[in-house]
Amino acid sequence: MIGALARLSADRPALLLLLPLALLPLLTSAQRRVPVAAIAAAPADGPSRAIGAILRTAGIVAIAGLILALAGPYRRGETLTRTGIGAQVSILIDRSGSMNETFAGRQPSGVEESKAAAARRLLAAFVGSRAHDQFAVTAFSTAPMLVVPMTDRHDAVRAAIAAIDRPGLDYTNIARGLAMGLSQFGPASPATSRALLLVSDGAAVIDPRVQDTLRAAFARLRPNLYWLFLRTKGSPSISDKPAGEDTPQAAPERHLDLFFKSLRVPYRAFEAEGAEAVAEAIAQIDRLERDPIPYTEQRPRRDLAGFAYALSLAGLVILVAAKLGEADLRRTGAPAARPRADASDPARLAA
Amino acid sequence: MTPGALIARNLSDGRLRLLAGALGLVALALVARPLALTRDGVAILAIVDITGSMNVRDYAGAGGVPASRLDTAKAALRDLVAGLPCGSRVALGLFTERRPFLLFAPIETCSGFAPIDGALAAIDWRMAWEGDSRISAGLFRSLALAEELGTDLVFVSDGQEAPPLPSRGGPAFEGRPGAVRGLIVGAGAPGLSPIPRHDDRGRETGFYGAGDVQQENRFGPPPADAEHREGYNPRNAPFGAAAASGTEHLSSVREAYLRTLAAETGLTYAHLDGPTGLGAALTAAATPRPVPGRFDPRPALGAAALLLVLASFLAPLLRARGIPTWKKV
Repeated sequence: MIGALARLSADRPALLLLLPLALLPLLTSAQRRVPVAAIAAAPADGPSRAIGAILRTAGIVAIAGLILALAGPYRRGETLTRTGIGAQVSILIDRSGSMNETFAGRQPSGVEESKAAAARRLLAAFVGSRAHDQFAVTAFSTAPMLVVPMTDRHDAVRAAIAAIDRPGLDYTNIARGLAMGLSQFGPASPATSRALLLVSDGAAVIDPRVQDTLRAAFARLRPNLYWLFLRTKGSPSISDKPAGEDTPQAAPERHLDLFFKSLRVPYRAFEAEGAEAVAEAIAQIDRLERDPIPYTEQRPRRDLAGFAYALSLAGLVILVAAKLGEADLRRTGAPAARPRADASDPARLAA
Repeated sequence: MTPGALIARNLSDGRLRLLAGALGLVALALVARPLALTRDGVAILAIVDITGSMNVRDYAGAGGVPASRLDTAKAALRDLVAGLPCGSRVALGLFTERRPFLLFAPIETCSGFAPIDGALAAIDWRMAWEGDSRISAGLFRSLALAEELGTDLVFVSDGQEAPPLPSRGGPAFEGRPGAVRGLIVGAGAPGLSPIPRHDDRGRETGFYGAGDVQQENRFGPPPADAEHREGYNPRNAPFGAAAASGTEHLSSVREAYLRTLAAETGLTYAHLDGPTGLGAALTAAATPRPVPGRFDPRPALGAAALLLVLASFLAPLLRARGIPTWKKV
């Protein structure tokens, strides 16, 4: 009950300061004043008092109802937490310049699609396919950029994904990107399923100093890690061992994969060499991320002005009825002849 | 007197008419539904300069604490977005180097306020991918981007080109002036302030000194007055023999330059006075776009009804004090 009262609020609370005006019917009346020689001459009369009280109350209700209605009362919406199927997905997108090339490593022409355009098309379909997923989008190139924080507004997420096939920037600084992508999860119940989806067409060396920080963050958040590697045809694969020295500098993709495997979090790498492979990878991720997730449902606020108007209307109906039923002692002519009958008349009460 | 005649006589009573009028208005308010109407919304692309000079703290924040230009611009954009009518759309981008970077395509501002707000709050100078600040190039590309997205442009910058423009001026605008409407918002105070300097871990380490930045652009042909400089030699010292000196390591809002750019591109210039107040400037400069709105007639009906009821109750009081009312008795 107290909870229900606490959720009451008003659009224009300042108008409630006018509420003392509702006491006006105690001072005055809308009824006609009729001079009577001596009010004490008439005996105290129960029905008259009752009608008088009803009229005053009706006046108070009519005025107070209108003031309340004008203040715009409403019951605040509430946020309910329910459980659905979905996940918190932090999408980390490579915006380096090479993402604007095709899978064949050329500038897109004709029907050919750039890697970024393919990722955009397929990710946009992934976002919003399930109602209770939450997404965050982070872009990275030389520096990581927070694009959209973790949100359930899928329109906003799709708007962020719509921007990923714009011309990209310079380099692929994956370590800082991963750190920001992880920071997007924020506080959530430990039961929430989290997924970090890295979409990139290359890899870079992760500074050993940053590696420990990343390991700690992965151990704390325990996200499922998916790496959608958009491989350009002919470029080294994740599993290719370089011919010469096997160092991170020589084969960054392979060593990033090794780093991810060493994190002890569920990890899958998808190597896609074309739009179909990307679609298949996204469908697989969709199938894998099926855990219960607490989601919030917003109950809309409820407008209560209608009730206040109805209240005021009831008061006004009584007042108008009383005005219509007014009889005037002087003009009806024979007050002395029918004292009892007149006593219950509203005109008498208002005098 | 019959009840019929009584009612007929009562109907001519002024206060009855007032109350009956109020009754009618309230009954109308009970059944009234919001009217659909078209309001003027906007669709904007907001591009925020995140170059080093935007870190200059020459605004007063809450409690008189100095606030950086970037923080003030972010607060002003948040205020702007919050004040737009529902149905307006906002896209956000960053500017550094010589180009804008689109963070997201236009989002509806009411349902998408939380993500827009979060994205605005997260804007940081550390997102910059390069250090240069070629404002005119960035502005021209932002205009092209806005045209492509079909929006107006809000370009927030302090107007400090780094490196400084060569003596012959910056690149010329090749687009059609006025094709994209919108605002250039000048951030910063008119007086010079030092620019904070950060180390490679992003920690602030002091301010830029005169020798840390390029004071004069010495690419291309020398300026016309170079001949009068000390030690001028057409081959060996076309810019004079002295090292360039200047105030490029300090920063103020370059209003004259931004106004020139605005005139060249058909935009409107507005100065960022604080964390609020961009709304009016934008409404004046932006293309109005019809968005569906609603008009609730109930407050008007209710207010009229309240006045009528109060009049009917107050009339006897006023008359008792000799204040004339509608009835001469």
